[in-house]
Amino acid sequence: MIWPSAVRRKHDDSDPEARAFAQARDADRCRGGAVTLPKPEGAFGPPPSIPYNIRMLHTAFSILVSSEMKRKIPQNGDSAGRRQFIPCGDHACFGIVGARRSAASQAALLMLAILLSLGGCSSYKPPDFKLNLEGRDPTRVKPAQREAIEEMLTDLFGTPDDPRVPPGLDLDLSLLQRAAGPIGRDITGTERGLFRKHCVVCHGISGDGAGPIAEMLNPYPRDFRQGVFKFTSVAGGAKPLRSDLLRTLKRGLPGTGMPSFSPLSPEDLDALVEYVRYLSIRGETELFLLRTVVDENEPLPLQRRFVLEEGVRPIAALWRLAEEQPGQYVIVPQRPKLSPQELAAAIERGKALYQETRAQCVKCHGPDGRGDGSETELFDDWNKAKKGITDQQTRELAKWFALPLQSLRPRNFHDGLFHGGGRPEDIYLRIYIGIPGTPMPAAGPAPGTPGVFTSDEIWDLTFYVLSLARRTSSVPEDVTVSAGASEKLR
Amino acid sequence: MQFGGRNRVQPKGTLRRSRRWSRRQWLRATGTLAGIASGTLMAPWHYAAASQRHGIAVRGRFLYDGPPPELRKLTVDKDVDCCGKFDIRDESLMVLPQGGVANVYVYVRSRGVPVAVATAEKSARQVLLDNRDCIFKPHCLALWYLRQDLYIVNSDPIAQNVAFSPLGDLPANIVLAPAPGENTEATWRFRRGQTQPFVVLCNYHPWEKAYLLVRDNPYFAVSGDDGGFEIAGLPPGDWEFQLWHERVNYLNLRDWPQGRRIIRVEGEGVDLGTIRLRPSDLAVGG
Repeated sequence: MIWPSAVRRKHDDSDPEARAFAQARDADRCRGGAVTLPKPEGAFGPPPSIPYNIRMLHTAFSILVSSEMKRKIPQNGDSAGRRQFIPCGDHACFGIVGARRSAASQAALLMLAILLSLGGCSSYKPPDFKLNLEGRDPTRVKPAQREAIEEMLTDLFGTPDDPRVPPGLDLDLSLLQRAAGPIGRDITGTERGLFRKHCVVCHGISGDGAGPIAEMLNPYPRDFRQGVFKFTSVAGGAKPLRSDLLRTLKRGLPGTGMPSFSPLSPEDLDALVEYVRYLSIRGETELFLLRTVVDENEPLPLQRRFVLEEGVRPIAALWRLAEEQPGQYVIVPQRPKLSPQELAAAIERGKALYQETRAQCVKCHGPDGRGDGSETELFDDWNKAKKGITDQQTRELAKWFALPLQSLRPRNFHDGLFHGGGRPEDIYLRIYIGIPGTPMPAAGPAPGTPGVFTSDEIWDLTFYVLSLARRTSSVPEDVTVSAGASEKLR
Repeated sequence: MQFGGRNRVQPKGTLRRSRRWSRRQWLRATGTLAGIASGTLMAPWHYAAASQRHGIAVRGRFLYDGPPPELRKLTVDKDVDCCGKFDIRDESLMVLPQGGVANVYVYVRSRGVPVAVATAEKSARQVLLDNRDCIFKPHCLALWYLRQDLYIVNSDPIAQNVAFSPLGDLPANIVLAPAPGENTEATWRFRRGQTQPFVVLCNYHPWEKAYLLVRDNPYFAVSGDDGGFEIAGLPPGDWEFQLWHERVNYLNLRDWPQGRRIIRVEGEGVDLGTIRLRPSDLAVGG
């Protein structure tokens, strides 16, 4: 059940935006969402931090005020005297809109208001972050341990309705508040609850990649809680830049369930990027807490300072790494300008490199790049843990995971669909830094990795891979890099 | 100067000093603080006061109670030209004919155990992980990340991959070119310690597996072929030790619940004697 953070618009059927909003709100109700009652223009909703009973009291009085106003102001059409049923949770409660009322009915309504304020029309339960028990037997986590972890996480990171930023973290709270919470608009008309509106259905409220439709998707939506992101421009396994996450949001991931969110405003996109970072840092802190409290039997109660110093700050430092040392970590593709003859030569060189044993491309992608190499048992890091040695073990393990085991298919270049984007720069980055969390390794030099190919060799490979795609794909190769679009998508 | 010899262990396993300090203890604490301060200023890694002593060794030996299990032959179906000629076997439980159990991790679990300068200076700067004969060598290794890096080498004439994802640290997925040649070595630096070993894999050759323990102190050992281990240079005190084996993770024994036990480290050295491991302790046949 959801309460908007600030003012609700007047319910007005002539306003298309308000109508769309009302539809979204009604959909919200179906999920046990908020009772969003019509209110007179200019009324302000109480912020969600106000206790439940007071909010219900406010709601009840809103009905009274609303009906009172409607009584005084002549109503158009048949709205006067209409009884409006509002399903909320298991019960149904109603307001009588615009009815002419006697003193007795006024008194009855006042009673209703008081009753609502005391008991409420349904039990409001804001959504909670779900404890990450992936791969664990939940019965082996003691209730006290579970409580300690959840309390510490709430203390540091707040709740899905009310996010918090732990001290010393580079997260913008105002952006987070825009993305968090229930769907709605605030007094300025700024949209709130963006994550719930656009992302939750796949990525889940905790960012666990196990939203309601996740199981139907291949590949599964990203579980942010492991802090690993596949399509980045940073080498050495470093965390993605904000611009990397933004690019994924704007362009989507072709060939996966991830659509493009480019119609959203830049501010909304920034808010979502920040919220993904927040969920990821929170998720990694949660993994640290599970390791410390459950595996290591850390004495309870947990020390906040210890968790901050040992858990949160090292993780936050990893997120700052690429921004602080871009020279070492950030890879900026510089596409060579080639004449048609030079391009043909580069493709030939790339073909030879592809067959070489240095990087073993053939092993997974096959001799012709059709994704039919000898490596067939491939899994990403999110699925590896679900794979037992025997089939029996795999079946037994399945009960501790939200989603069934899903294997990974190496890309068939002839399809012309590249999850990380089909521009030459995208292919270059995938070969250079690999795809974190998958068996695709980093072929370019970076901190800690010598790399097996030089930058020029990676360009040759890129052109070869794209030449295979061009042959069969009906989509022109440069479709995503037309002058204006390219600038817009950067 | 001595390390905190009068530490006593609280029921929860944390170390705390007694409330009332004698004058001698105050002097000792002041000396420790001065030592820590100078040590921190002198070196980029953390170690505590300079000590005249070289610390105390803790040693012991793991013996298998039963006939040594046969090492299962693993399916080698990738790069058969190169790897097919090696006898590659499951190394998850290495028991030698004399009964010694290799590859058992023993490490100090207590937090904040001081490290003497001598120990820091003696330890190597790199720990080697070799890709040789289509397996990782050694199978189990440990390093002190504040002082040591992981040095990975490919000695095989085929490309090798080294992939691992430590908790709360950056994941690695490294390709090493075929040897001999260029780009056959990598040096990986860790950014934080771990409370238990993690697995190192090769995505090219699914049978290849190694384990790596990354700690913030040098007090760890992996039992050798004879089952013996020794952790040297420990300061005196009551320290909690942890046993870990890849078959069962925490090695739960009668005297070592969850593989943990507090041991008083003092005198010339501590000999834990023979620690007997039953097949059921290592999930053999289960």
